[in-house]
Amino acid sequence: MTRDLLVDPEALREQVRDKYREVAVDPGASFHFHTGRSLAARLGYAAAASGALPDRAVESFAGVGNPFSLRSLAPGEKVVDVGSGAGFDSFIAVGQVGPDGYVVGVDMTPEMLAKSRQTAEALGLAHVEFRRGLAESLPVSDCWADVVISNGVINLCSDKQAVFAEIFRVLRPGGLLQFADIANGRPVPAAALRDIDLWTG
Amino acid sequence: MLQDSGFTDVMIGEPVDTFRGAGGEDKARAFEVYGYAFVARRPV
Repeated sequence: MTRDLLVDPEALREQVRDKYREVAVDPGASFHFHTGRSLAARLGYAAAASGALPDRAVESFAGVGNPFSLRSLAPGEKVVDVGSGAGFDSFIAVGQVGPDGYVVGVDMTPEMLAKSRQTAEALGLAHVEFRRGLAESLPVSDCWADVVISNGVINLCSDKQAVFAEIFRVLRPGGLLQFADIANGRPVPAAALRDIDLWTG
Repeated sequence: MLQDSGFTDVMIGEPVDTFRGAGGEDKARAFEVYGYAFVARRPV
């Protein structure tokens, strides 16, 4: 089925990659959003959990909310992190699911993937891995996940219906989607919705 | 959209002023943009 998308999906992905490549390699730069440990504290992450992680796991965090605020993960759960970035939420998830759980982070930005993989290796974590992929075509088999998490990513996808359908596919029946994202209380003008530069800035 | 995609038991958390003090604050204020946590279930 063809949907009338507001912006071209691949053009938007390219802009998002450019933006988050910079967040990965230069997290101290100025962005239109907050990053790092101060952001994690603002969003209510437990200080003990984020504080236990090395700087490289936190400094490129650029979420917009806390996907664990309404429900913590349970020990042993299998989790997919859609748009895992440098891995901050995946590493928080690892701590919650424990050694009997497993976390798969998925991201499309090579620099973010490299950073998250290096951090996982440095931490010696065997039950987390990071795969390259898109939110609309997750590299995860049907019904694999107990929980899908995501943070500030779905708003950057032009075909949100496709993303939710894909998340539905990888969740087991009864599984949970717990994510954080932005929403606006006032309508955005139609012309602005089709201005791709406004999606990432 | 979550319900249109087949999810049930949707919960929404309190708004978080995620852009306060950031460069994007003006645009966020203009359109009342806040961060939210969501939970939804794939039915059994």
